Amino acid sequence: MLYEVRHETRFQYEWPVAISHQLLKLRPRRCTRQNVLETAVTLSPQPGFQRDWLDYFGNVVEFVTVQGSHSELVVTSTSQVEVIAASAVMLEMSPPWEDVVAQLGTHLQGEWLGANGFRFESPFIRFDPTIQAFAREIFTPGRPVLDGARALTAHIHRNFSYQGGVTDIYTPASEVLRDRRGVCQDFAHLAIAALRSLGLPARYVSGYLVTHPPPGKPKLQGADESHAWFSVWCPELGWVDFDPTNNLMPSLEHITVGWGRDYGDVSPVNGFIFGGGHHQVAVAVDVHPLPERMGP
Amino acid sequence: MSEPLHREDHAATLLAGYRPLAGRHDELMGGDGKLRPQWRALVSAFSEMSPELRHRAATAAAGQLRANDIAYISSDTHHPRPWRLDVFPFLITPEDWTQLARGLVQRARLLNAIVGDLYGPQQTLARGLIPAPMVFASPEFMPNCAGYRARDGEFLQFLAFDLGRGPDGKWFVLSQRTESPAGVGYALENRLVTSRSIPEPFTAHNLHRLASFFRRFADHFAEIGDQHRSVVLTGGADQPDYFEHALMGRYLGYPVVESADLTVRESRVFMKTLEGLERVDLVIRRIPSEHADPLELRAPQGMGIAGLLHAARSGNVVMANAIGSGVVESAALETRLPHLAQALLGEHLSLPGLTTWWCGDADARAHVLAHSDRLTMLHAFRPRHLMTAGAAEFMASDADIADLEALRRALALHPQNYVGVEPLQLSTVPCLTANGTLRPAPMVMRVYVAATSDGYQVMHGGLVKVSGTDLSGGERTSKDVWVLSDVRVAPETLLKPLRAATLKRSDRDLASKTADDLFWLGRYLERADASTRLLRSLFLHLSGEASFGNVPVALPILTGLMNSFGHLSEHETARMRAAGFRGVENEISNLLFEPGNADSLAGILGNVARTADQVRERLSADALRLIERLTNVQRLRFRAHGISETVALLNELNDLQSALSGLIHENMTRGYGWRFLDMGRRIERARYGITVMKTLLVGRERGAAGVLGMQLELADSLITYRSRYKTEPELAAALDLILADDSNPRSLIFQFAAMRDHMAVMPLETHDGHLSRAQRNLVGMHTELLLADVDELASSASRGGNLGQLRRLLDRAEESIGKLTDLITQTYFSHSIGHRVTGNVIRSQDDAL
Repeated sequence: MLYEVRHETRFQYEWPVAISHQLLKLRPRRCTRQNVLETAVTLSPQPGFQRDWLDYFGNVVEFVTVQGSHSELVVTSTSQVEVIAASAVMLEMSPPWEDVVAQLGTHLQGEWLGANGFRFESPFIRFDPTIQAFAREIFTPGRPVLDGARALTAHIHRNFSYQGGVTDIYTPASEVLRDRRGVCQDFAHLAIAALRSLGLPARYVSGYLVTHPPPGKPKLQGADESHAWFSVWCPELGWVDFDPTNNLMPSLEHITVGWGRDYGDVSPVNGFIFGGGHHQVAVAVDVHPLPERMGP
Repeated sequence: MSEPLHREDHAATLLAGYRPLAGRHDELMGGDGKLRPQWRALVSAFSEMSPELRHRAATAAAGQLRANDIAYISSDTHHPRPWRLDVFPFLITPEDWTQLARGLVQRARLLNAIVGDLYGPQQTLARGLIPAPMVFASPEFMPNCAGYRARDGEFLQFLAFDLGRGPDGKWFVLSQRTESPAGVGYALENRLVTSRSIPEPFTAHNLHRLASFFRRFADHFAEIGDQHRSVVLTGGADQPDYFEHALMGRYLGYPVVESADLTVRESRVFMKTLEGLERVDLVIRRIPSEHADPLELRAPQGMGIAGLLHAARSGNVVMANAIGSGVVESAALETRLPHLAQALLGEHLSLPGLTTWWCGDADARAHVLAHSDRLTMLHAFRPRHLMTAGAAEFMASDADIADLEALRRALALHPQNYVGVEPLQLSTVPCLTANGTLRPAPMVMRVYVAATSDGYQVMHGGLVKVSGTDLSGGERTSKDVWVLSDVRVAPETLLKPLRAATLKRSDRDLASKTADDLFWLGRYLERADASTRLLRSLFLHLSGEASFGNVPVALPILTGLMNSFGHLSEHETARMRAAGFRGVENEISNLLFEPGNADSLAGILGNVARTADQVRERLSADALRLIERLTNVQRLRFRAHGISETVALLNELNDLQSALSGLIHENMTRGYGWRFLDMGRRIERARYGITVMKTLLVGRERGAAGVLGMQLELADSLITYRSRYKTEPELAAALDLILADDSNPRSLIFQFAAMRDHMAVMPLETHDGHLSRAQRNLVGMHTELLLADVDELASSASRGGNLGQLRRLLDRAEESIGKLTDLITQTYFSHSIGHRVTGNVIRSQDDAL
């Protein structure tokens, strides 16, 4: 599938802002089931300085400075992304989770080393005995690691309610577990915390989800959203994605922007301003399917 | 008076009861009970002093530390603990030292290489030299720091090592600090105080001086930051070790700045000054790595410089030490250092650490669980703080994992976060007791290593922390370290800065934040001054000891005035009116020194103390001493009981304030700093004058008996009035004196003239022939006061009118002051505070950070 994604962030300030620095992680990255044909990030007013690089995790990051008094800042990213279906995985055939944990301790080359970077607590993901007990209920002894991850995904979807406004990015996973509610990033954080509490590598993926209007209704502008899910690492297969918010394995309708240890590593728009007073933020995301490219 | 004791008797007293502890190396005595040779001269020098003299030396040292305001704020309780010193130093022989120094330099090189690798190619991980969890589980490993390429591969410029000596006389490394090691300022302070307290022994010993070390590392910094500015970045005056940041800045000749003083433009770092931005190419980092950049790291609100990490990775600024360098502080790393020394340096690790079991390893974990009763259990990624601890606490297990059950629970969740360490029976060092004898107490020594142009060098000295009860310096006292030399050491002074500041007259590069702080210091000082005068007048009057112009003033007017200035709440005002002054006499101290009320005298003095602290570097020692006396609210509060005591206290405060004003007036150079401070004063003096006039002259009580006299008294102009007019006060003449007489330094017009003159030369006011908005505002108001016709202003009163014209004039003056403060804030200070915003997309609603 070929998509065009438009992601607009609009800041409105009470007083003029003299300088605004922005750290943006808005350009979808190329990965196994995704090809990025085009990306553009524009700002209004125009930035005096814009520099991009690949971060430690391979995500595209840019540092942007807008100078000169402004009361509104609009950051728009538009991308054309081609997504192919995730290859089917026989979840039950994956190795027992304990074996993966044991091997990670001894294998240090390449991907194994990289996977080790996602096995521990990180700034936004801490875990405690309640989370570990929760994980152990699902990851029974000998359970294949991906089968366990799928069960964890289904369990969260079934037993937790999707509720906006009750959590924020600082809400600890233990609180999400206790209250059984939250939004996509909370579910991703909780699943990752559970997996890591067993010693399994799990990472946080940020991206977009294609939504469908009710039958017969037109699709609303900006109705799509940023989304987050998690990925678990399995020897030979590598990273395998799961979406606990929608109880599925991401495929043609998930567009990946980037990944990291937790929300903090991939937060799309982070700014630091001088002046401004109170501010309001409005975010609009549109994901449109485009006609498939011609050719071989 | 006691008989002077015979010398041998002194020696006997000094060592009376000195018994080395079993199973430990004693620094003073060998196993045979004889003094080790290096101590003989010192012991004999102390033996020649009477116990009283020893006691006096110890007390004098404590007094000096107090006078210099040296405290250490415990990072866990946030309470200041006074810094303690035992004047009896620790001596170390040249042989011991040479061996230690070699080992520490090797470790510094090794740690530097590891930091460089972990934030670069990560070969140590790929080759299995360091188990990946030892790095990835550490909160000190910051992925965003990867890609910082240190100049000449130098990631660590300044390190500290904590050392202990075992029963067999061998030294061990107990912990290594690479983030931003504390304590070197305390070591210097200890040296100064010790050398002054026992000058004869100090000069008699041939010991290495600290100055040469500082000169070499200062020279190295001068080489690194050679093109632009270098700064010492501190977390602020309320940080535990701020005094040593200031000392380091003064010593190196670099400004001490906070996050808000720095900013990033494009990929470069700049210091904000009154005149604009100045490029910075070396930051001596004295804040935790995590606080360095609010965009890429988790800096708390108000901390960090947005874009600093980007600037560092772009190679445009040297961070000393590199951000993220705390990753090698881990106690777990000790298990791998022998291998790493072989692999990275091709050398044998010469100075061992304690035998350590890292619980990330299954076998080690099993060993630890089986021997937990014997091992010291520690968090692998949580540094221990020697500065606040005594030697024994420093060696103890971390409290939350000290018992086996807690340890099991912790290991089940995060095994890699813990280590078990073989305990060490620390050596003992002689310490002076409260009664002037020596006693052995266990010790840990901290030693510093710095990068120089000839590689890493060890400071010839350091800090010793001991622990024990009944010690003259207290139970966690510190000591100076005397490194003895076998070659003659030339004395060098430490007192004068190494780098002469470039000769300059102007302070146009004054940091915006400093200007802001000075401005507010001026404002708070004037508020304190005004409040003290007001309260003193009122107290004298209320207690019947004085009346204004010989006419008593009614209670409601006085209480109304106190209410206008926030000293009394509405409720208290009403109570006082009902009960009379005597009725609340006993609550006086509460009214004046009410904690939590920012407008109370205590609140204002607290703000004086706080702002003065921010600009310590710009105030003289005399001024700081006066401020300390002026703002010691606890002491003041204790003394304010009853009216006459309170009046005496207010008199004293008034004297202190006058002395302080005089000092500032006479001693502060007339640069921008002084102008901002004086501007703050003028603004508050004008505001105070306007409020008093509005309350007394045009308020409800206008025309009441004695009001005019009181007005003159509060404007500090009663004596001038009497000498000029020799009559009872009369409105027009009074108005002339306090409003329009530009020769009266308390008049309103005088304040506006002074402010106008300041703004005429401020750097950011436009100078192309046009007046700036602030200048126009001041010139306008000054002219209006100049043209004011006092007879006409007063005449509506004599006609029984409501003095509308005067009221309007005062309103305009008040408005002009308000506008001026806004303009100053916008022009000079508003860029100094930034904040974080996030365009968080993921549907949490209240994430506007």
